Amino acid sequence: MSINLVRKFKDKQTLSKLKSRDKEAFIRVYDDNVKDIHRFVYFKIGSREEADDLTSMIFLKAWNHIQNKTLENAKTLRALLYKIARNAIVDYYRETGNKVTASLDDEENRIEIIDEAENPQERLDRAADLELIKAKLPFLKEEYREIIIMKFINDLSLEEIAEISEKSKGNIRVLLHRALNALRELVEQDAKKN
Amino acid sequence: MTNSELIAKLNNLKSIDPDQKWLESNRELLLSQVSNSGAETLSTWRVIFINVSSVMKSAAQPVYALGAFVLLLLTGSLFSGQLLASTKPNDSLYIARILSEKVKLNTTFDSTARNRMEMKFASSHAQDITAVLADPAFNNEENKDQVAKLNNSFSEEVNTVKESISRLNAAIVPAAKTGDEVVIADSSKDAQGIQVADGSALNAAVATIAASAQPAISATATLVVPAGMNLKATSAEIAASSTEIAEPTAADKMIDEAIQLFSSKDYEKASDKLKEVSETIK
Repeated sequence: MSINLVRKFKDKQTLSKLKSRDKEAFIRVYDDNVKDIHRFVYFKIGSREEADDLTSMIFLKAWNHIQNKTLENAKTLRALLYKIARNAIVDYYRETGNKVTASLDDEENRIEIIDEAENPQERLDRAADLELIKAKLPFLKEEYREIIIMKFINDLSLEEIAEISEKSKGNIRVLLHRALNALRELVEQDAKKN
Repeated sequence: MTNSELIAKLNNLKSIDPDQKWLESNRELLLSQVSNSGAETLSTWRVIFINVSSVMKSAAQPVYALGAFVLLLLTGSLFSGQLLASTKPNDSLYIARILSEKVKLNTTFDSTARNRMEMKFASSHAQDITAVLADPAFNNEENKDQVAKLNNSFSEEVNTVKESISRLNAAIVPAAKTGDEVVIADSSKDAQGIQVADGSALNAAVATIAASAQPAISATATLVVPAGMNLKATSAEIAASSTEIAEPTAADKMIDEAIQLFSSKDYEKASDKLKEVSETIK
């Protein structure tokens, strides 16, 4: 409870500072959230360059929304950022007229995870697993992909996901279960082929 | 592949981060864009104000709810007693007064105190009934049924007063009787089996002992004399208790007079009599 209260206090404090046009508070929000928002956008649209541009635009939009006192219904700052990100992605799809269903995998963006404790074979296996998941994510339903990114990659709580998605917690639980099953099926199908 | 294995693999995707150079350049770009739109560095006072208001806002729900509850309890306990005590038998809040009095009675474990309290409450009810019936705006043909009910209630309350007084009387008498014989609680005197009936008997016993006994017993006798003085004080207490025992009898008479006055519809005098009863018992 105390952790929640501290978090709530910090959130209210930051939001008040942003409303008072505090640029330091804005930069702090950027530093704290940019990686998560960028990852969310990247896994949703599948292009790193587009994700860079959209992420930058999302933070600027968040600043404008706070100054203009729009999107006040978000309970937390993080939820506000994700809501803006979702809207920005919808706008992006509308403008480009296509949804990305191709693999995120490309030669330029190979995942490189270096863990000294692992031997080279383990490291290779792990990288292969990651590449597989990364490759299969775009083939999931939009709704499933979004919820998997928020829950298992960006570590959002069920309450936060429910608020961002404007769904009930129970609904989110069901969606998560279905999304995981769908992803597992995709991964297993691929394993059988190989 | 199990779900937990799949989740573990998904967790590893957290390692995918944007390019560090892009992060820094974008940070600078956003900062300049925000600065152009009127962003500033806040003054210390402004920051303090924001911190205080954030504390108030974030603590709002639990703290304010608790504060309101405590305030309600305090004001409730402070004012409800006074408010309820002033209600009359024809008021809607009168039932709340009766309930609060019952709670007080049930939470009083000392039987004498409870009897006194019960007597006080019943006497107060009877006085209130007389006050209400003394009001011609209420005591008329329109409220015939209510007046009849109040008449019955008066009889019940007066009976309760009487019963309480008799219980008080019964409680005081045995206590007074134990005061007739005073046992000296000094261990050396117990060994000699000295028991004294009252102050004068004690003095006689002391005189006998002092005249005939050995030096050791004389020493004991000198110790007994001051104890005798205490016994005199006890005698005074016994006398006071006797007065107390006498008072309930007088109170009974006063109650009978009050009943007679009430029957003859002299409500004011009946009320005065009941007040006298309360004061006598005090």
